[in-house]
Amino acid sequence: MAGNFWQSSHYQQWLLDKQDLIRERQSDLKVLSEEDYQKIMIFFANFIQALGEQLKVRQQVIATATVYFKRFYARNSLKSIDPWLMAPTCIFLASKVEEFGVISNSRLVSTCQTVVKNKFSHAYPQEYPYRISNVLECEFYLLEMMDCCLVVYHPYRPLTQFVSDFSNTDDTILAVAWRIVNDSLRTDVCLLYPPYMIALAALHIACVIQQKDLKSWFAELSVDMDKILEITKQILKLYELWKNYDEKKEISAVLNNMPKARTSPTPPPNQGPSDGTQMSQTSQST
Amino acid sequence: MSACREIALLRELKHPNVISLQKVFLSHTDRKVWLLFDYAEHDLWHIIKYHRSAKANKKTINVPKNMVKSLLYQILDGIHYLHANWVLHRDLKPANILVMGEGTERGRVKIADMGFARLFNAPLKPLADLDPVVVTFWYRAPELLLGARHYTKAIDIWAIGCIFAELLTSEPIFHCRQEDIKTSNPYHHDQLDRIFTVMGFPQEKDWEDIRKMPEHNTLMKDFKRSSYVSCNLTKYMEKHRVKPDSKAFHLLQKLLTMDPTKRVTSEQAMNDPYFQEDPKPSSDVFEGYPIPYPKREFLTDEEEDKADTNASKQQQGGGGNDQSSAHGQPPTKRVRVMPPATTAGTSMVTSEYQHMHTGNVQGTGSNSQQINFTSGNMSQTSNTSSTNGQPRF
Repeated sequence: MAGNFWQSSHYQQWLLDKQDLIRERQSDLKVLSEEDYQKIMIFFANFIQALGEQLKVRQQVIATATVYFKRFYARNSLKSIDPWLMAPTCIFLASKVEEFGVISNSRLVSTCQTVVKNKFSHAYPQEYPYRISNVLECEFYLLEMMDCCLVVYHPYRPLTQFVSDFSNTDDTILAVAWRIVNDSLRTDVCLLYPPYMIALAALHIACVIQQKDLKSWFAELSVDMDKILEITKQILKLYELWKNYDEKKEISAVLNNMPKARTSPTPPPNQGPSDGTQMSQTSQST
Repeated sequence: MSACREIALLRELKHPNVISLQKVFLSHTDRKVWLLFDYAEHDLWHIIKYHRSAKANKKTINVPKNMVKSLLYQILDGIHYLHANWVLHRDLKPANILVMGEGTERGRVKIADMGFARLFNAPLKPLADLDPVVVTFWYRAPELLLGARHYTKAIDIWAIGCIFAELLTSEPIFHCRQEDIKTSNPYHHDQLDRIFTVMGFPQEKDWEDIRKMPEHNTLMKDFKRSSYVSCNLTKYMEKHRVKPDSKAFHLLQKLLTMDPTKRVTSEQAMNDPYFQEDPKPSSDVFEGYPIPYPKREFLTDEEEDKADTNASKQQQGGGGNDQSSAHGQPPTKRVRVMPPATTAGTSMVTSEYQHMHTGNVQGTGSNSQQINFTSGNMSQTSNTSSTNGQPRF
């Protein structure tokens, strides 16, 4: 939906307050450091990205799925539903909403198995345990928790508009800023700020990298520059973290500390991921 | 699939002439989705039917002179909003145009059944790939019948033109015998024949790109221009007593333009002289007159069950007594009401592409009972009715 962002459910219900976000996260942060929490979110964003690429969906689908994932855990503990199940569920739902067409049930599950085996065995040495019945059940919890707000606005469109506003020829700036927007999905900014502001922050960083002076262009925008700088800071913090972080080596230990569902994290096929409370009903549909 | 898309769109849409989604209920155990809408007492399918039978019985119905104008204006207003928000309806027909009964929104048009609506600002796949057949034949634009692969705003405008003509004459303008609707081939000989019989065969100069249509060869093989030389819209409408020099006719002509690139947009149509001429369109299409149309009939739970088991839904369905015969359309709305003992005044409407199940509101969970259903339509979508075994959601 390219409609009016200011009337959207994204704006009205899903721009969260930083303090809220921290409060909701408290129970997970009793077990995890803030940095480890972020590493987990980055890791699963990477997992969603890998699934999306393997399924050959567009970046738009991946971005929407990542935002769904973040929305869910913005309001729920990591232990409520296993993120290994939530990630493909988000891709599954996003591909329907973004009109990519339905990913077939068997293809989704087999892709999960392949991707986990080939790319994420360092983090998940066992066979991928979930079946489509788990995904379908999980999808309903995801829908419910998001209050059926499924249309997500992304910074890509405003970014393209901004770039064409000051230059018709500068593809490098757009490409660099585009990648920064992709990276921003590994931070909380998509939960906290309107997409056009994230686009501006990405543009701002891109200009610094490309040593392009857009000060006067920025000055003419009637936009809260303090907020743009806040976003910039959060994205730069991500790059700072990445500098000294080897995910392949470290993530296994971090995931070990992740709060998990109370019962067995790898349920046998055809049974829910058994959180006991949240997912106790067995799905009837296959 | 369609349920998911519908909810995503409905969740975002807010306009006085577009039906608003009040609430979504998710039933985890059986994967049913219940949608609660504004309740609308009337729809154009029933309104037109009422006028047609009155005409047949030579009775007059006391409605304001400009009711058709008010209806059309509000339909255009709603569609303009959808189009401005990059949403195509794709299935406009009288049954999907609701009109509010007594209450604060008396006489207001509500465009409904957005199940097939989709975003089209950046289609990721050719739209025709996802659902082969979308618009009901009678309201289907000629370019669709000739195999156009992409849906456009112009396709909705054509359907509005058809509805406008039907409001003016009480007859579906492109009425056509309907058989197998499930065909995936968009080309439909009889429907094209009917359009040409009313409109005449399109001149090369009027629709240059017709040669580029996928089914152009079939068209040239199957049809002869000479069979339609004496046909035109003026004649057809004159036969139905719509004067060719009236502003209504001029606007109709602009809406029913064969070449989709030359068809008016909703915005242009709203600025048409037809609407500037007195009497002007009004927000209550009935303008305070008593509403002559009957209220929806309701199905009780028992009747509903009977209807389901007897597979005789047309006889049992609320207001559906003669829907399947007289007008050649499938029953459009099945309405039912909770027994007074449980939730008085609760009503649920399922759209024709959705399937009613025996479960009721109470079955969706305890919190739904706390909701005041008295002014709601409830429609349900569920994967269990899907034929290909793939969850619709």
